[in-house]
Amino acid sequence: MVPIGNISAVHPGALTRIDAPLPKNPLTPSGPLTATPHDGFGQVLDNLVASVSEKQDAAQVATRKVLLGDSDQLHQSVIAMQEASVAFSMMVEVRNKLVESYQELMRMQV
Amino acid sequence: MNLISGIDVTASALNAQKTRLDIVAQNIANAQTTRTPNGGPYQRQTISFETELIKRQGGAGASLQGIKIATIGTDRTPGQQVYNPQHPDAGADGLVTMPNVNLSYEMVDLITASRAYEANLAVAKNARQMALKTLQIGK
Repeated sequence: MVPIGNISAVHPGALTRIDAPLPKNPLTPSGPLTATPHDGFGQVLDNLVASVSEKQDAAQVATRKVLLGDSDQLHQSVIAMQEASVAFSMMVEVRNKLVESYQELMRMQV
Repeated sequence: MNLISGIDVTASALNAQKTRLDIVAQNIANAQTTRTPNGGPYQRQTISFETELIKRQGGAGASLQGIKIATIGTDRTPGQQVYNPQHPDAGADGLVTMPNVNLSYEMVDLITASRAYEANLAVAKNARQMALKTLQIGK
């Protein structure tokens, strides 16, 4: 149900010629090695929330189509709603675990 | 993210059984129709299914075989001849060819489609319950 992304949306810098010259010294770090990575846990959570929201949007679109008479796929809309509900429950579980571990850390005797 | 496993296969089966129910409805509705655009009485429609491979995104899990409508065909059996000279579609001998719809067959088909739909609904319900129970691990 996830729409296929527009092909033209590919970042132009992502496509390079296969025989393009290699950049000079590509492995030299530009900053201190302790810098935080871009793809950290926050990014993972961000993706999770985004995909849950996407599922809810898909369910809403399917339901609206049924209600407006554009489609007779009643089961598709209900299934999409259930999928969104399960995905939301999983997101809430992840949040609960995070808060739980934070409180566990806060209770630690120093 | 595919949390409810196999739900797309179940969705295709629900769609197929719904179409089957529509065909049965059409047959029952036209059980007395003696005039069609093609000429002659209404002819019973039949439906058949075929498998359809459903690919998963990202290669997670096995590829499953869903279901789709193969053909919606026409039953060519000749209809019953009824003597009714007052009927507008009666021939010179007063006989009217009625549609070849047998209500008993249609009711059996209706119940089969309805039960198959219910079975697939049960699958969907259980798949959802499994996903929710999985989220309860460790509680």
